[in-house]
Amino acid sequence: MLSNKAVLTVAGASMVLGMAVASSAQAETLKVGIVESLSGSQTSTGRLYATAARYVLEKVNEQGGYNGDQIEILEYDNGGNTSGAAAKVRQAIADGVDVIIQGSSSAVAGQVSEDVRKHNIRNRGDEVLYLNVGGEAMELRSNKCHYHAFHFTSTAPMRVGALTQVMSEQGGLGDRVYSINQNYSWGKDMQEAIKARAEEYGYEVVDTVLHEVNRIQDFAPYVAQIKSANPDSVITGNWSNDLLLLMRAVGGAGLDDITFGTAFLDQVGNVANAGQGAMGNYVAHLGNIELLSEEFVNDYQSVTGHYPVYVEPGAVNGIKLFTKALEEVDFEGGDIDVNQIAAALEQTTLETDLGEISIREGDHQTVMPVVVSRVSKDVKYPVDGTDMGFEPIEVVSAADAIFPLQESCRMRRP
Amino acid sequence: MEFLITSTLNGVIYGMLLFMVSAGLTLIFGMMGVLNFAHASFYMLGAYFAYTLSSIFNFWIGLLVAPLIVGIIGILVERYLLRRVHSYGHAHELLLTFGLAFIFEELVKLFYGDYPVNYRMPDDLNFAAFNIFGTDYPFYRVFIGGVALAMFISLLLMLNKTRVGIVVRGAERLPQIAQALGHNVPLVFMGVFGAGAALAGLGGAVAGAFYPTNPNMALELGVIVFVVVVVGGLGSLTGSLLASLMIGLFSSFAVGLDWSLAGAFDWVGLGDWARSVGGLLTMSISSISGAMPFLLMLIVLLVRPAGLMGSKN
Repeated sequence: MLSNKAVLTVAGASMVLGMAVASSAQAETLKVGIVESLSGSQTSTGRLYATAARYVLEKVNEQGGYNGDQIEILEYDNGGNTSGAAAKVRQAIADGVDVIIQGSSSAVAGQVSEDVRKHNIRNRGDEVLYLNVGGEAMELRSNKCHYHAFHFTSTAPMRVGALTQVMSEQGGLGDRVYSINQNYSWGKDMQEAIKARAEEYGYEVVDTVLHEVNRIQDFAPYVAQIKSANPDSVITGNWSNDLLLLMRAVGGAGLDDITFGTAFLDQVGNVANAGQGAMGNYVAHLGNIELLSEEFVNDYQSVTGHYPVYVEPGAVNGIKLFTKALEEVDFEGGDIDVNQIAAALEQTTLETDLGEISIREGDHQTVMPVVVSRVSKDVKYPVDGTDMGFEPIEVVSAADAIFPLQESCRMRRP
Repeated sequence: MEFLITSTLNGVIYGMLLFMVSAGLTLIFGMMGVLNFAHASFYMLGAYFAYTLSSIFNFWIGLLVAPLIVGIIGILVERYLLRRVHSYGHAHELLLTFGLAFIFEELVKLFYGDYPVNYRMPDDLNFAAFNIFGTDYPFYRVFIGGVALAMFISLLLMLNKTRVGIVVRGAERLPQIAQALGHNVPLVFMGVFGAGAALAGLGGAVAGAFYPTNPNMALELGVIVFVVVVVGGLGSLTGSLLASLMIGLFSSFAVGLDWSLAGAFDWVGLGDWARSVGGLLTMSISSISGAMPFLLMLIVLLVRPAGLMGSKN
């Protein structure tokens, strides 16, 4: 027969054990769902966003994770279209994610943002955050803005503003600017922004063209239009093939004295494909490898197998801002409340290699610097196996780059 | 005048490129009745193989050998895949090639990555052929047109003037009789499919150096190639050429034309009203130039359901 003392000891031990089990059962794992285009025509961009997000989150896990557990990173392939995205957002929410990260395509971003908004209205206390790392449409920051969506990327006015400012200082802008853009929300935003800046920087928008997205195989007819308008520079938000084909067609027509101001010239493969025609053209982007600390660049290379390119530096900064906000909220191993994370995120600032970034409370747009770079041979990191790379010309400060808050954003706070 | 000449030139060359890619599809459909959804994938494979070969040897070897490799792949696809489902009818063949298109796309991404590869024309082809109204006209565009024209003429001659052509046409029209006469009909089909694939491969090898070679190129051109074949009259080579040129010219002219429905309303004095309504009425033709081929297809199908040169009109 056991002595009373022994019984007590056993009971005590099991109580301690039980409490330990209970507290570990209570500790909620932070689940992050990356809903990206991992197949289909947008894979090249989607894969980069996923890589960048994963890089930052795994760093946190290396440091011991969050809320007493490792952050669980789930990847979903949205196939690059809105219906795929809707299905995957549903699945992610069913899997219990707290945060959804998505970037490639504004159209998909619109779908994800709306789905998250509706879910949050119907499920008070079980909200989900949406971190938009790539959707640049103004609409997401105006009438479609909501409290649980955060936008870590720039918009057309930010890119065009920085481009026109620096190009006009450098003398590449000229008096006659031609606007050619894709016929959807992003291209229209670009066109508006190009027109809006005309007075300030003393140029005339000689013509504007909107064309279909990635359906034009032959840009020669557009080059004929550009030539007849006789511009000094062409500003375009085109990406992927639409940019490559346009630049090649202009180069082939011998109109070499036209300077390009672009938003996506740094997309992988563009410089190689444009060849010498790329030289001297500008890009406004959220990060330039030339300006990043060597320590980060090398670490990124060793973890992911490549240098941070194209959208990656910007996405890394955005997700870092998010993980910094996480540090501010301590759930002490208990339930995770994303509303508290959102509130912390609004107050967080992050010092990046380019300057400070923070969230604007009014529409959850990130206030951040924009780099304007020019294709040049005078670089440390040449791209695409060529001898050319992006030489940073100027970092336009966060305060100068930001666009005014849009009145149509009426954010309802919980 | 400048607009007229430049647009015609651009349209014709683009049309020739479309023909180059759709010729193989027309051939395969006309001779075998197979609607090959993977056709544009052969075009993409041609570009990628030519890229690899041109970086090892040189551009011209790539141009010659890549179509042969694509042709062999085409033969293998016919021999080991299509022939198996042939007896189940055309729907199965179509579905099979549809699936193949996806597999080829993902395979290309697996081996060559998600980004466009650096496949460029050699520097000695990168010059202006002539100067028109102060704009250089790239020689390579003329080269594309030349290759397409050569392709058309040799195909036409081969099908109509040679013994091979007679056997191929015979095997298509009356397979059992051709077989009874001692011709190996399955072999003929295999050859036709291989040749069609090789033609697409040649198109890719030539065009890939001018347009970026990327994993989406099949997707981008795939649909329009079908439009060409449908408009031309399924299976008619001359029809395909005609359709290609029409689509090329339509797209090229549409870009420069700032016409809209509101402009048409001006004729009856309702222009201002139409502009105030906006929406569809003020949409200019230039912003929907990419939809031109489909509009053309719609009209042709309504007026001549078998296509421009289709035999069943």
